[in-house]
Amino acid sequence: MSPFEKRAWLALWSQCPPYLVYFLIQAECPMWLTTFLQRIACLAIVAGVHAIAYVTGLLVMKWQERAEPLLLDERDRAIDGRATRTAYFVMLAGMIVVGVVMPFSDTGWKITNTALFAIVLAETVRYALIAMGYRRTPRLAH
Amino acid sequence: MPTESLTNEVRLLRFLAQDMTQAELGKRVGLTRQTIAAIEQGRYSPSLEVAFRIADVFGKRLDEVFHWNPGGVAEAGGAE
Repeated sequence: MSPFEKRAWLALWSQCPPYLVYFLIQAECPMWLTTFLQRIACLAIVAGVHAIAYVTGLLVMKWQERAEPLLLDERDRAIDGRATRTAYFVMLAGMIVVGVVMPFSDTGWKITNTALFAIVLAETVRYALIAMGYRRTPRLAH
Repeated sequence: MPTESLTNEVRLLRFLAQDMTQAELGKRVGLTRQTIAAIEQGRYSPSLEVAFRIADVFGKRLDEVFHWNPGGVAEAGGAE
């Protein structure tokens, strides 16, 4: 498996579960988080779990790959470019909703959480497309 | 739906070049071992520049290494 494919899977597995829990709590059990401090603490815990899982995985990978230098070649760049292009449009759509539509109907944490959701969704799409790109690369990638 | 395919003799040429490894070929043309494997399996078509570099490593012309099959069926790892 390519080191960049491994990193994409690591990013997906370290990011999706904590933020899934966070958004489920926000959507289904908002009564658990009533004060500003509780909400910030919940977000900090989720972001912390994400960061710890990702950095730990990255350190393990670095240790495993210590013998061979990490080389980014044209296939890696093509896969990354395609994934980033698609994720950009996901992010764009999310930011239009958050910045153009929601200010007229919603306020506060709803806008914050929707913005966060758009960012997480765009990142998830990007890493998922990178991971899939290594499994079934289109023959003509340029 | 287009059925053109690009096949190659990279695997055979590696074998003929004293069983050169994918990693060694990759190092000489600036690709990773995984990308060389993908090229051999027909899962990735390299850029023209890289295709020329690969042919150059084996001392062959480009059309001796890569084959374009108009309307043909993909023969991944054409050397087999």
